[in-house]
Amino acid sequence: MTRLAIALKTNQVSEPEIISRVLAGDRIAARELYDAHSSRVYRLAFRLTGDADLAREFTQDTFVRAFSQLARFRGDSALSTWLHRITVTVVANAMRKVKRFRERETDLEDVHPISSDNTGVDPVLRERLARAIDGLSEIYRTTIIMHDIEGYTHTEIAEVLGVAEGTCKSRLSQARAQLRATLADLAPELES
Amino acid sequence: MKEDRFDELMRDAAETYRKPVAPDFDAMWKGIEAEHFGGRVTGGREERGVVRWATNRWVGIAATLLIGIGVGRVSTSLEKSAKLPVAAAVPEISTASANTAAVTHDESLAAQPYDRETSKYLGQTAALLVSLPNEVKAGRADAQFVSRAVDLLTTTRLLLDSPAAKDPAMRNLFEDLELVLAQVVRLQNNRGTRTELDLITEALQQRDVLPRLRTAVADISAN
Repeated sequence: MTRLAIALKTNQVSEPEIISRVLAGDRIAARELYDAHSSRVYRLAFRLTGDADLAREFTQDTFVRAFSQLARFRGDSALSTWLHRITVTVVANAMRKVKRFRERETDLEDVHPISSDNTGVDPVLRERLARAIDGLSEIYRTTIIMHDIEGYTHTEIAEVLGVAEGTCKSRLSQARAQLRATLADLAPELES
Repeated sequence: MKEDRFDELMRDAAETYRKPVAPDFDAMWKGIEAEHFGGRVTGGREERGVVRWATNRWVGIAATLLIGIGVGRVSTSLEKSAKLPVAAAVPEISTASANTAAVTHDESLAAQPYDRETSKYLGQTAALLVSLPNEVKAGRADAQFVSRAVDLLTTTRLLLDSPAAKDPAMRNLFEDLELVLAQVVRLQNNRGTRTELDLITEALQQRDVLPRLRTAVADISAN
């Protein structure tokens, strides 16, 4: 990470300052902005797609759109929130086409391998939970991935998804309830 | 399931579920730089973007005109069929094709009551989506406009669960309209920014929604 990107992350350089430099056509400033935010954007895209190629493609799309529309960024929210909103929309717009294609070409189960860290959780249980998350509808899956997996706050998710904070909390609660219901047959194992 | 056990599972999922693989950020940047700042990447994103923009512009204009024609045709045909006596409205079936027609007759009968509703819904959705850019630019994407989108979104979901969605092409169209209308509904929360509008327009173009909407309207009209 470059010095300016570190400075941006540690608030030594203000966002409006770097944005105005990007708008003036400063490629180095654009790269700094990318360095400061690309990791989180990519993580979010990867978690939402489960596919490295798609995550790379969507991260690039996000930044291309962000740079071309930066003049319209009004600063009502943090730049990161604005970028993540574009990411979520880019992913949502593209994934249905991808999903349709995959349904024809391959089994979805082959697409997202589960990593096998030794954290003491039964691999079968882990696999079942992953499939249950995959099976959630888009709004619930996005909410639970952002909150429970990626650690966004309800306030951040609400801003990114353009919903009220209460709606976000309600969706998370619904998502968890659906996961519990899906895993209900494993109740004895879960209690042990 | 106990709450703490579930929380433990979710903590584990944060470490293992779709665990990101570190990409080559420099290579990604080169693609972004080439597309945004106009680098020389042969056959890359930049070229495709320009061609896509030019094509979509004309497709959009053509689609708008054709939807108008299609909606007009539906209104006319519905008006005509309402005036015709029942016997005259039944199409002639040749002896050779009578058996085939009988097989498909039951399926089409199940979807028939939905045709009129579907046709009305597609027409209203087309009207809303075509007028969307101007409404937003003029600052008229107000509560009433969003409320129309909410109604259409509800209808979309009802139609998705109905026999009208049995046809795969129609189902795909409903699913895409559901996504686009959900984005229109979100305009209210995001105060109708140009960025949001651009993303909706792009979704419409990427999925060829307006041309498919026009085709669906024409198909229902023909049937």
